[in-house]
Amino acid sequence: MGGMETPWWNDDDLLLAALREAEEEARAVPAEFVRAGKAIFTWRSVDAELAALTYDSAADEDLASSLRGAETAPLRALIFATPELTVELQVEAEALVGQLYPPRGGVAETLLATGEEITAPIDEDGNFVFRPVPAGDFRVCCRPHSGPVVMTGWVRL
Amino acid sequence: MRDDPTAGALVARARDHDKDAWDAIVERYAPMVWSICTRAGLGRADVDDVAQTVWLTLVESLGDLRDPAALPTWLAKTAWRECRRALARANADTGPAAGLDTESDAGSDARPDTGSPVDRALRNAALVEGFRQLAPDARRLLSLLMRRPPVPLETIGATLGMPVEAIASARERCLDELRRSPAVAVLIRTGPEDGGGRDGNAVVER
Repeated sequence: MGGMETPWWNDDDLLLAALREAEEEARAVPAEFVRAGKAIFTWRSVDAELAALTYDSAADEDLASSLRGAETAPLRALIFATPELTVELQVEAEALVGQLYPPRGGVAETLLATGEEITAPIDEDGNFVFRPVPAGDFRVCCRPHSGPVVMTGWVRL
Repeated sequence: MRDDPTAGALVARARDHDKDAWDAIVERYAPMVWSICTRAGLGRADVDDVAQTVWLTLVESLGDLRDPAALPTWLAKTAWRECRRALARANADTGPAAGLDTESDAGSDARPDTGSPVDRALRNAALVEGFRQLAPDARRLLSLLMRRPPVPLETIGATLGMPVEAIASARERCLDELRRSPAVAVLIRTGPEDGGGRDGNAVVER
């Protein structure tokens, strides 16, 4: 049906009705929905090299099931890499534990999709810890004292 | 004329780390993302999830958008794709549920109707944009004519200081202006089926 119907833009009544629907739709959007979208831009301003995901325990069925029984094992292990640096992340029950290879000191940040940022020091052995585990999607940005800034992809737990 | 930069100009500014341009993009297209998600039948948590993925994908694609003017189409199709993913995840957890027919592709159907969520959202975004580009007088008249319940013509005439007999022709003139506004004119010219005549999937170079 419909092929021969008057298109909505050809008839004044249909056009006005379409405009009314559009305006009502625009007004129906919750303000916090718009705010959350705006907050996401924060990451644009971070000038960092993007580290690619090279390992994810969630994609590794055998390991995932063997880890389920263990008490101290990480809930999730991820490795991100650039040609120069590797960022290992382990999600444990109480903390997000990270390791930078080759080891170097600096500052690590977890960036939440809500716009929140949490900072933690990276010690000279390349270790850093975020306690508790970030709530919601996050990515980790490592700023070593020397060398390029590295940003992981998004992690969805 | 009101300062209302095109989608392409906003993308170019957002690329250069202009936060105001990003905010304008989100304000303009959030209703589209919202309506696609709610029409797909997603619950609020999934809607927020999908929107987050859509905006993140856009932030990361800003530098790669080959045709920034096709931003609305790109956003609508990305939102629709993510809705389908969210529904597929929900179905995998709980078995098939009521809601969106995940087999149909709402974006590329050649139906002349504007029934698909993507086309409808694109149409609504274009109409809102076109409406905001109208002169203030035209916006006031159309706003009064759109009210629900309807405002009596006498009241409209009194409010705008215009004889009742003049309202019908003013309405005609204002709606013509709306048709000629850039956002709506593009939509009419290219037809609603593909919401801009471009394939949203081809917009990002990989």
